[in-house]
Amino acid sequence: MRLVTHNMLQCHVRGCNVNNYPLQLSEVEIEIQETEFNSQFLRSMIRKLEWSALINSAREIGITTLPEVLPDDFDEDFLRNIHRVLLETHIQQGKMTCPNCNHVYLVRDGIPNMLLNESET
Amino acid sequence: MSNKVVFDNEQISDVVKEQQYVHEVYQAIAPHFSQTRYKPWPLVELFLKELDIGSLGADIGCGNGKYLDVNKNVFTIGSDRSSKLIDICASREFESIVCDALNLPFRNECFDFIISIAVIHHFTTPERRIAAIEELFRIVKPGSLVLIYVWALEQDARRKFDKKHQDVIVPWVVPASKNDPDRKEEAIYQRYYHLFKKGELDNLILNTGKAQIIKTDYDKDNWYVVARKKSCNK
Ligand SMILES: [Zn+2]
Repeated sequence: MRLVTHNMLQCHVRGCNVNNYPLQLSEVEIEIQETEFNSQFLRSMIRKLEWSALINSAREIGITTLPEVLPDDFDEDFLRNIHRVLLETHIQQGKMTCPNCNHVYLVRDGIPNMLLNESET
Repeated sequence: MSNKVVFDNEQISDVVKEQQYVHEVYQAIAPHFSQTRYKPWPLVELFLKELDIGSLGADIGCGNGKYLDVNKNVFTIGSDRSSKLIDICASREFESIVCDALNLPFRNECFDFIISIAVIHHFTTPERRIAAIEELFRIVKPGSLVLIYVWALEQDARRKFDKKHQDVIVPWVVPASKNDPDRKEEAIYQRYYHLFKKGELDNLILNTGKAQIIKTDYDKDNWYVVARKKSCNK
């Protein structure tokens, strides 16, 4: 799971509708897998993210290189860094905890399991 | 060929029906299913290729992920109820998650496009089919497109169905294979399908009140609709 995907995920336990985003990352194992750099794609894609959630989540997995505020202009260095953080950094193992209800979702072998028990839906 | 069985096991609940006749079947047939599902359907491929560069989307019920790398200029997250199918996606290095289409773990209005190909027909009641469609329109942005394919009752090519019965069981046959110790003998699995009549998918989408229909047609034994999510209060 990449941070792009994590940026879209929220808790969906029944009745958990407020303060259920972003899921807090802990006990993570990271793997870097290189992939082709596509600056035009990145320029447009960055604007689709919840930036403040992203910098928080990045910090939770030990990445402190993102600026507090999304810059107006994206230079090459910034895009290269974003490429690394968003597309090449994979969370292979870890826990995602809902900040509201404390439900824990697991990431195993790079795959988040978001299924709930019958009683939680 | 018309050897399809009408689904009339009313003793079990809708949830159990989907567990036994959909979820468990895909878990069991995942590797064989995946081997037979490698070619993208041309109209789905075209839809994905026409998206704006940098679009972020989801393929709900992505199976083995054959649509996840069609367009390198967009980012598509795959989701499926079957962890075995998602294992296959992951082994192909596709971004994917395990979740239930009735209860998607995504934020409201976070995606630029959604596709759901041959998925909604596996829900056993109108209420559940509507709920699945509602979820797709919840997570897509206003003004953005959703593409949905479902099996048609009227299909007349590879399979034929009795037009009187929309809820059917369709066997999936995994042939024996000399090279695979798990496949010493042929195995037959029974899958549940709701076959859609012409216009039925359109009505479910329109009844949500959340979308307008951009295109609706028949393609490859399926009815499909491209729908645009309305902007608020319209
Ligand atoms: Zn929660």
